[in-house]
Amino acid sequence: MPPKFFFKPTFDTYRQMFSSTGNFGHYLWNSVVASVLSTIISLVLGTLGGFALARGNFKRESDLSFWVISTRMAPIPAVMLPLYLMFSKLGLIGTMTGLVFAYTTFNLPFALWIMMTFFRDIPPALEEAGMVDGCSKFEAFWRVTLPMAAPGLVATGILCLMFAWNDYSFASVFTGQSTQTVPVAASLLVSQEGVQWGQAMATGTIIILPMVIAGIFVRKYLVRGLSMGAVK
Amino acid sequence: MLTPSIVILAVISMVPFFYMIYASLMNYTVNPDQPTFYQLHNWVSILRDSTYWHSWERTAIFVIIGLAVELLVGTGIALAIYHIPKGRNLIVTLWMLPLFVAPIVTGLLGRFLLNTTYGMYAWFLQLVGIKTDILGTTSTAMPAIILMDVWEWTPLITIIVLAGLQSMPEEPLEAADVDGANYWAKLRYVILPLVSRTIVVALLIRSMDILRYVDTILITTEGGPADSTKTIGYYLVQVAFQFQDFGRAAAIGFTMLIVSIFLGRTFIRIFARGEQ
Repeated sequence: MPPKFFFKPTFDTYRQMFSSTGNFGHYLWNSVVASVLSTIISLVLGTLGGFALARGNFKRESDLSFWVISTRMAPIPAVMLPLYLMFSKLGLIGTMTGLVFAYTTFNLPFALWIMMTFFRDIPPALEEAGMVDGCSKFEAFWRVTLPMAAPGLVATGILCLMFAWNDYSFASVFTGQSTQTVPVAASLLVSQEGVQWGQAMATGTIIILPMVIAGIFVRKYLVRGLSMGAVK
Repeated sequence: MLTPSIVILAVISMVPFFYMIYASLMNYTVNPDQPTFYQLHNWVSILRDSTYWHSWERTAIFVIIGLAVELLVGTGIALAIYHIPKGRNLIVTLWMLPLFVAPIVTGLLGRFLLNTTYGMYAWFLQLVGIKTDILGTTSTAMPAIILMDVWEWTPLITIIVLAGLQSMPEEPLEAADVDGANYWAKLRYVILPLVSRTIVVALLIRSMDILRYVDTILITTEGGPADSTKTIGYYLVQVAFQFQDFGRAAAIGFTMLIVSIFLGRTFIRIFARGEQ
């Protein structure tokens, strides 16, 4: 059957998914909670740590930076396995805590590293000026440097959200019935008997849309974020 | 200020890492609650396992062909966009949209479009006489998986290389113009050497990422047909979560880590050179 180029659009599938019989709203909520929580944790710790890394003078700095990069870039299956074994011992399989923790394994090193590159671009002289005027070291960071790094912080946050939101592998292993995220729900629609393409594609659209909008919003920082700060 | 993040980073990276080494030395199958010491059995068994080596071979094909296509097309398009006088931003924005698409959705879309009954791509292929089920045939499944990866990630190469092009100093290009160099000579002797570091960075980032994700394979072919798309990442998932042989999976995971650690080292060396 040839494809039709003129067709009558319908929103029935979406209506069905969000109706009271479906669990879709619940999966959406799980996705939002897991990605937002891991983003907040990673941003807070990553900003403080990134600032310290950018300003501090460390011996063996290259070893430290190598460690951070390899944590972020480790193949997901190789990270998933030990986490799964540890989580089963701790009873964290199928819980939100486990999933947030799993997402933090890649978002924290990412935020730490990228925020470090943003802070390196801000001259330390500005903080020193603030400290001469009587700020404490933390106040100088909070009032002078952090506002200047704000655009970078927003971009980092959005990228962290995207990495967690788009994840399927971790969620497929670490979530259970009640903690399923949207990508897992999408995969179940095609792996069960009788593939439901309408719903699968509608679910796919719901996964893609917010990230496309957010991505366009941070496009200026995209190169930097996705090249781990090596290209500005 | 650094301490809390370093401590947490240590917990989320070091502990699993050592746990994996421990697991690779244990018999972690029959009774996962009480693994017993297994010496080097898991290690010997993966070295003798032909599927293990076959998976690395499939991985090499996936990575080498995928990266080569992405590099050529991505750099070519970056050069084309670089020479467009107007509307560059809009074109870049449209071109990079696939980067935001979850790999799982890329896989779902690929499966839908190649579906022999409803798929639009399958319909076009049938028009030119190709009636096979693309994802269900050993010779075509891997190319299809590679194309999905190319669709999703070529824009990354483009935007990285484009950033490199846009930060080139103007003097060498002007000097080449004064000397009357044609475009190909300029490209070969001025432009490409100037952006070579950026291209290497793009390649390293992509090679780490291409090993990182298995989502597309999980949702489309599940390693099949006849193991033709079974990359090492997928094999690990299968040994661990399907065969529940966690010890052997840990040994496989460790060898994967070694490869990505090597890539990470190279990246850091180049990164440090660029910072100076």
